[in-house]
Amino acid sequence: MSSDAVAIRLDRVTKRYRAGRSRTIVDLVSSVVDRARGREPDVYSAARGRIEAMVFALRDVSFDVSEGSGLGIIGPNGAGKTTLLKLISRVTWPTSGRVQVAGRVVSLIELGAGFHPELTGRENVYLGAGLFGLTRRDVDRRFDDIVRFAEVEPLIDMPMKRYSSGLYARLGFSVAIFSDPDIVLVDEVLAVGDASFRRRALDSLRRLIAEGKTVLFISHDMWNVRRLCDRIVWMDEGRVRASGPAADIAEQYMEQVNLRALANQQNVLQSHRGGTGEVRYTEVEIVDRSGRPTAIVPDGGPLTVRASYEASAPVAGPVFHVTIVDVDTGLAVATATSSRIDVPPVVEGRGVLECVFEPLLLRRRQYVLRMTITDALQLMSYDVINAGPRFAVARGGGSAAVAGSEHGDEDGFVALPFRFEHRARVLSS
Amino acid sequence: MTTTTAAPRVLTDHAAPIDPAAYLELLMNITRREVKGRYSQSLFGIGWAIAQPLAMMAVFTLVFARLANILSDVPYPVFAYAGLVPWFFFLNSVSSGTMSLVQYRNIVTKTYFPREIIPLAQVASRLLDLGAAATLVALLMAYYRIGLTRWALLVPALFVLLVAFTVAVTLLTSAVNVFYRDVSPVVQIGLQLWLYVTPIAYPMSKVPPQWRPWIAANPLSGVIEGLRSAVVYGREPDWSLLTISAVLTTIALVGSFTLFKQLDRYFADVI
Repeated sequence: MSSDAVAIRLDRVTKRYRAGRSRTIVDLVSSVVDRARGREPDVYSAARGRIEAMVFALRDVSFDVSEGSGLGIIGPNGAGKTTLLKLISRVTWPTSGRVQVAGRVVSLIELGAGFHPELTGRENVYLGAGLFGLTRRDVDRRFDDIVRFAEVEPLIDMPMKRYSSGLYARLGFSVAIFSDPDIVLVDEVLAVGDASFRRRALDSLRRLIAEGKTVLFISHDMWNVRRLCDRIVWMDEGRVRASGPAADIAEQYMEQVNLRALANQQNVLQSHRGGTGEVRYTEVEIVDRSGRPTAIVPDGGPLTVRASYEASAPVAGPVFHVTIVDVDTGLAVATATSSRIDVPPVVEGRGVLECVFEPLLLRRRQYVLRMTITDALQLMSYDVINAGPRFAVARGGGSAAVAGSEHGDEDGFVALPFRFEHRARVLSS
Repeated sequence: MTTTTAAPRVLTDHAAPIDPAAYLELLMNITRREVKGRYSQSLFGIGWAIAQPLAMMAVFTLVFARLANILSDVPYPVFAYAGLVPWFFFLNSVSSGTMSLVQYRNIVTKTYFPREIIPLAQVASRLLDLGAAATLVALLMAYYRIGLTRWALLVPALFVLLVAFTVAVTLLTSAVNVFYRDVSPVVQIGLQLWLYVTPIAYPMSKVPPQWRPWIAANPLSGVIEGLRSAVVYGREPDWSLLTISAVLTTIALVGSFTLFKQLDRYFADVI
């Protein structure tokens, strides 16, 4: 129900913070001296206006958010996402530029920030809603809805210090969304709470958008961002790096995140190393079709893992394992185990082994390789690398694309081939 | 969920105005939170509000025992206690109010609402203590058989003046303390000295004439002298002293509130 009306407008917004130590009377005196000398004093600059002590949280940020739409804000930590929300909610003010807002804003920068642990849930509902500008009568009308949504009925008259942190957050969220906002700002708060609450919270945000409310949503979970928002603003180092339709920006962002994560991985083989050591991996890399090391694997494959090993003494019947582990969940997706045919019965000295997955039925996510070498009975480990090289499966194009990849956003790790069949059925009475 | 907003929403550069009823309720809720936090898990509870001036009264009475008859025409404990009740209201409001914004850092940096509500709630929460401590004045007066006169009707107006001046100081110290944490210790020391330049242990009439203008420039002097005349002595207050106090309080309140609203947009950045 997105309309032409603008709910939020940022016009060349810059936000500077003073970094470093807290101010003391000494700073005050020196700033008074500065003022007397005719230098420009700044309420929140460091003493003597040292420019290096300033941190730019936002630089020249402009964008509009139309009423009744969901806008996702993504970007790495420290990109200025939370500062954006604080400016829009008037918690803080821009150093320069304009922030314009139409209607009542409710910010969920931290769930239940206004609650007091000594007060009961009931009292805190009134206190928290009051912080959002609601009167007692307003709350009375919504009280049952708030409590029901948060599922805290049995505990509502207990002091909140007895609540679990999940419950605390649930009540905080519930108070906020039932406080009749025009604009809701959500900052990565859905990470708390269990799966069922997260789903209901997302549903309720989607419903708000459908009702014509505006939702700004910060999250690192691209999945949720894309489900809730039609547009995304990608922040990086205080600037808008890209903005546009959610699917495009999310795709670009994930590609960048993958590249950066993979660029950062140096020789990780030294850490998290286990095993008895008779035979060890000396190098593990993922290579592309032309044999060059890579970290981006096209969906459909092939995924080629090239592992060099060295055996300090003759080892009989070693078994090599390559396990693909999902980075986000830590779940093993698939394991390849070498057989007697792949590896000579006794290994000694150096050797190289290649393991090829093709077709690669993996979704576009990030994975990490777990590399192990065991004895023939798999009772003893010679070498264990829990966190080997990482790789990302990305849009490969071409005919190798696997089922579902035309959407690119299906859930799960594995893209199994599937088809739907539909038959009309006559209902018998 | 129903939408109550009928007017078309327009873009504005300012925070959405808060409904006055909601403002008042928020103030009351934060006050309640403050009171509850202070007295929960405390056996003696509100009794501490009476114990504080009472203990000081005992000290004054012992120290000034020989001077008691010179200092006051009424029993000295009543004289001292009547001055200490408004004093402790001021002292406690200012000393906890100064730290209040920093203590509520969590809300200040995360939600928008009119920031002055937090120091105001500190003052409001001390009204309960003031009320409790004031009842003992009545008991003391009954014990010493001192009756009330029509001048007691001035009490509400004098309380308003007391609260107004307390608010003025609290707004100022709480706001500046956000920027400079040195404010809090300075305030604590200042309050200790302030007690002695306010006619609490002694009456204004016993102040050497050359110092009188300085003591009169302290807005609390007019209030405390006024309260004592109206209640304990049951006579007309010193109007000129009261006028000075009222004028200075008004100036302080307007100035302090203006400064507070100038500074409050920086609170979340520096707190």
